[in-house]
Amino acid sequence: MTGTLGRHVRPIDWQQRTSGAARYTADLFIAESLTVRVVRSPHAYAAVRSIDTAKAATMPGVHAIITIADFPPGARYIHEGARDRPPLAEGMVRYVGQEIAAVAAETAEQAAAAADAVVVSYDRKRGPLTIAAAQGAWSAALHKRTNGKNISKSLHRSWGEPLQGSSDGVSVDGRFVFSRQTHASMEPNSIIAQWDAEQGCLHLWVSTQAPIFVRDEVAQILGLAKEQVVCHEVFVGGGFGSKSRISEHEVIAAALALKVKRPVRLVLDRNEEFETTKSRHAFHMELALHADASGHMRAITGRFQVDNGAYDHSGMSVTSAGMKGLGLIYRPRSIRLDAQLIDTATLPGGQFRGYGTTQVTFALESLMDELAGRLERDPIDLRLQNANRDGEETLIGARPRTVRLADCLIAARDAIGWDKLRNTRPAGHGVGIASGVHLSGSYAERDDANRSDAAIDMLTNGKVRLRFGGADTGTGQRTMLAQIVAGELGLALDDVDVMTMDTALTPFDLGAWSSRGTHYSGHAARLVAKTATKKLESLAQGRVLPIGDLVALSNEAVDGMLTVEASFVETAVQRPDPKTGLGNVSASYNFAAHAAHVKVDTRTGKVELIDYVAVHDVGTPLNPAAVHGQIVGGAAMGIGAALGEDLVFEQGKLVTTGYTYYALPRAADIPSIRSFIVNCADPLGPYGAKGVGELGINPPPPAIANAVADAIGVRIRELPITPDKIVTALARKEGRNRHFNIWRRPDRWWIAFVRWAYPLGLFRLLHAWRTHQPSRSVPPEIEELAAPASLDEALSSLDRGAVPMGGGTDLLLRRSQMLSTATRLVSLAGIADLSQIAIAEDGAVTIGSAVSLSRLCAPSATHPAVAAAAQSIASHQIRNMATIAGNLLQANRCWFYRNGFECYQRVGAKAPCYAILGDHRFYHAAIDGHRCQAVTPSDMATALTALDATIHIRGRHGTRTLPIRALYTGPGQTVLQDGEVIAAITLPAAARTRVGAFRKLNLWHGDFAIGSVAITCRIDEAGCWHDPRIVCGALAPVPWRAVETEKALAGRKVTAALLRAALDEELNAKAHPLARNAWKLDALAGLCEQAVEEINEKVGR
Amino acid sequence: MSASAVTSMVHVVFWLVPGLERRHQMVSVKRQMVVNDTAFDVDVGLDDTLLRVIREKIGLTGTKEACGRGECGACTVLVDGVARLSCMTLCALVTGKVTTIEGVARERPDICAAFADHGGFQCGFCTSGQIVSVAALLQESLPGDPAAAEHVVRDRLSGNICRCTGYGGIVASVLALAGGDR
Repeated sequence: MTGTLGRHVRPIDWQQRTSGAARYTADLFIAESLTVRVVRSPHAYAAVRSIDTAKAATMPGVHAIITIADFPPGARYIHEGARDRPPLAEGMVRYVGQEIAAVAAETAEQAAAAADAVVVSYDRKRGPLTIAAAQGAWSAALHKRTNGKNISKSLHRSWGEPLQGSSDGVSVDGRFVFSRQTHASMEPNSIIAQWDAEQGCLHLWVSTQAPIFVRDEVAQILGLAKEQVVCHEVFVGGGFGSKSRISEHEVIAAALALKVKRPVRLVLDRNEEFETTKSRHAFHMELALHADASGHMRAITGRFQVDNGAYDHSGMSVTSAGMKGLGLIYRPRSIRLDAQLIDTATLPGGQFRGYGTTQVTFALESLMDELAGRLERDPIDLRLQNANRDGEETLIGARPRTVRLADCLIAARDAIGWDKLRNTRPAGHGVGIASGVHLSGSYAERDDANRSDAAIDMLTNGKVRLRFGGADTGTGQRTMLAQIVAGELGLALDDVDVMTMDTALTPFDLGAWSSRGTHYSGHAARLVAKTATKKLESLAQGRVLPIGDLVALSNEAVDGMLTVEASFVETAVQRPDPKTGLGNVSASYNFAAHAAHVKVDTRTGKVELIDYVAVHDVGTPLNPAAVHGQIVGGAAMGIGAALGEDLVFEQGKLVTTGYTYYALPRAADIPSIRSFIVNCADPLGPYGAKGVGELGINPPPPAIANAVADAIGVRIRELPITPDKIVTALARKEGRNRHFNIWRRPDRWWIAFVRWAYPLGLFRLLHAWRTHQPSRSVPPEIEELAAPASLDEALSSLDRGAVPMGGGTDLLLRRSQMLSTATRLVSLAGIADLSQIAIAEDGAVTIGSAVSLSRLCAPSATHPAVAAAAQSIASHQIRNMATIAGNLLQANRCWFYRNGFECYQRVGAKAPCYAILGDHRFYHAAIDGHRCQAVTPSDMATALTALDATIHIRGRHGTRTLPIRALYTGPGQTVLQDGEVIAAITLPAAARTRVGAFRKLNLWHGDFAIGSVAITCRIDEAGCWHDPRIVCGALAPVPWRAVETEKALAGRKVTAALLRAALDEELNAKAHPLARNAWKLDALAGLCEQAVEEINEKVGR
Repeated sequence: MSASAVTSMVHVVFWLVPGLERRHQMVSVKRQMVVNDTAFDVDVGLDDTLLRVIREKIGLTGTKEACGRGECGACTVLVDGVARLSCMTLCALVTGKVTTIEGVARERPDICAAFADHGGFQCGFCTSGQIVSVAALLQESLPGDPAAAEHVVRDRLSGNICRCTGYGGIVASVLALAGGDR
């Protein structure tokens, strides 16, 4: 290879991307721009009777409102050809969040206010919200389909020999669920659209992976010629597949730009981004593997149900790609698969890194381990025996030239220390392996999918510029292309510029998807660079001259610029046969093996990743650092899918609409992933390279599931592998049961009755007839903001509905969630008197209410248990801002309440609690739940309760002091009256003599507690515990003290087992869990055991 | 202008009083903000977050809005050297000197270069916040033991979500800057 190819170079745009200079779409502020706000459906399935925009249209700043009536009749997206989705709702809405109308106004606030004022009248219907519901006899039909009710499409694939009945073989099978994962790109979908009436040209700046698809869809829907729509180059902040097709917002912005004749900007907020970005399709898979007694794989059979969501986007091709993935890793003799793409009235599925192969790999590779178990074989040996090989045509018609899967497996085995771990692993530890495959650009079912063009402009100043039509969303593709051009032309990397995305100025390319960038754009760049070299050689005629001088010699140069173009067409690929799916759809195929070493906390269900190895066959890496970046980034995303990421819906509405509720990995959640590349050079790849973008995401879910199964002897078949699933599976395995005997507890009878009545119609009644919150997407403006210098001053201003504010991290959030309408805020954060930590002579510690959580993180500042709690809260930045009183007083974090559900807590008695039948596994009460199932989320409250803290409250009319246990009246609710503030918190002198420990279980580092525990006690010289406090957070509406257990332990030498026995008895006597959160009792008891062990360790026992 | 003079000028108490300008129906006050050691006179609405003022009124677009509600860290800036989320900070309450990515990149180009050398960024959208957080982190000393240092770095950067890199490159960048030998 030439030049810098094969070597690590800094990305050519590193200075822009690291200094803030890179301009992403939302960073472009075009003069006279209007802001767009979209009106969305609050209903999963409803007929739209009317849309009244009259009032909204007259509101201040509003320039235009569009509905479907503003589009040509019959306007539909092309997508996969189904043409079932209009640009704005037409007649029906089929999922929560679907676009109904859009407003362009001078400011974002005006646009939002007008959007709120658009009156849409609905005729609500009961839509099929799950795969099971869609197939029910009485379910509504979402679309008119020819394959059967709510079956968008069916697919049958049969490859290889006919299945033969045989008795000497081994079969394993299972039912696997791959849940919905969302891309959560850091840059939300962003569009700027501007109509140039003079030129008759629509200019678009779009955060996209594939400008050409955006151009084509916008042009066809708006009835423009393709040449009239021009996408311009911008920096793009991640895509992972979500931006490889149109996001359904580009057309809206474009239509408004045409209407108002001014530039418009449409930037989705994070709620919208989660609610409307087409997610990974959930796959429900029944899969079976059949092998002979020697372990040779005979057949793979299976049946998939794929959740299509409300509209056809890429569901069928995702399903088809997944099926083909099953034919590439190993060498079965037969594959028989059936799939149904099922319509549900939920967010549509779309393209996501891995594209179907991720889902099926989870099932296949989990079963490979089960097969190995049945055959009593080492899982890696079994995989090596069956691994695909060079030069063989696979059952699906693929002809990979290079297959280094076996090398990957062996390298992964060595790197993770497989043999040693398998033989001598400590309890709770496990190791798992998984293979994976992906391709280098599929010959997708469209014309020209095997083609990529490129152009080079050479300038008299010696610089050259490559023009190419794809988009670099952060993969490093621009740098790789510059390396190719620089290498071929013998230039320094600095002399090569790369222009992308501009549909007017760059030649044909389909964009960055299907891992096609390296193969297609790499070949195109190589080809055009060679063309340029030839051109220069002909100009040089044997002389050695710099490029600039040669350009000056050329009579083809225009304005000092000589241009060459080239078109690369891959002839080694075939379009798949539509009937059989057979065909060599990719020029090369890339393989991987990942190995995971996990530690499972069997008490709490938490899976900790100790070590992770990813070994890939990517051909020859052109920029190794970028290749490792793709591998590690993909693996981290796969680890997220394995352990936490899940879109949760309730009544069709997304519950997990934000990073707080979507457990994607944070830095502390994963170890340094170790990435390796095996030696390979693919003869068809550019300089031997293969694609790499997607594969990293495929092996992690099964590798981790296999490691977990290895660790605890139970296999989890439904992703993500969250603590509840592990704790529940272990309890079942060990035959542990809890009995709560509600019939003997009259105080719980009413609640038990209501919970019983919920599924029988009470919930539906309350849901249908609930009080509605006024439609409002921006909070009322702040009218007054005071930053007093003293508490007295603050108290005097806390009248007329003014509310106190600490760091603002909860109050401002609640304002944006429409949970607080306060318009007069009094900031206490700057009051010096409230920002002190004072230690009295007797040792009592008084913490001012405005002391930040950061200051409490030091164990010496107050008490080690307080420090441990503070360290566990949120993030460094939040801890710098948030105050201790703000933490104590924050509202509950129930994900229904916070995320827009009109629930009892939000709108009042005539509304249901969505947690009772909804997903309440993590953040809801298992003890004392009443009308609302939420909990007090403050970890500080847990720790301070265990230290007998007192709360000093100041109001205009006086002062009062309470023990902290008297502070809370309900989930995040306190005895504080209007006009009162917490002035300080005191830890009594006795707290200093208490030994304590704080433990917390959560889904990601810094997340709110699923459960937290603080235990403190005094320990005498004999090792006996005195006056113990056992406090559980996030288990009940208020911090819950295990008083019976405290009594039972007092005066005894406490061990984990002793505590567990007493605590289990008390939990069984007092708990009243919901249907799916009884596991929290086990997890909390486990945390208590760990806290006891920590305390005993601290005092040396 | 000295820093203390600036501080006294901006350390004011805001009240709703007659005479405050109502623009776009928003209450606003004239403020002087010191951002990256430069003083800016800006109209600040009481609702305006520090993020919005930095991006839209001062015109420094390196600070990104990715969530707008304190979840992701993309908007991290330093106020008097302390890392804060500018999307959850009301600008009118800010009295300290603000440093954004543009300022950090100027003062600590070595952090930017380390990110480039160690795969610390891909799409770059979270990178401004990451680098600002790293600048704050590097004001403190890290443990000498590499594993302990990595533990601290991962904990401290957990408020900055990255969806591209899997964090390996970011952590490697910080450890290299801190002199850690990996």
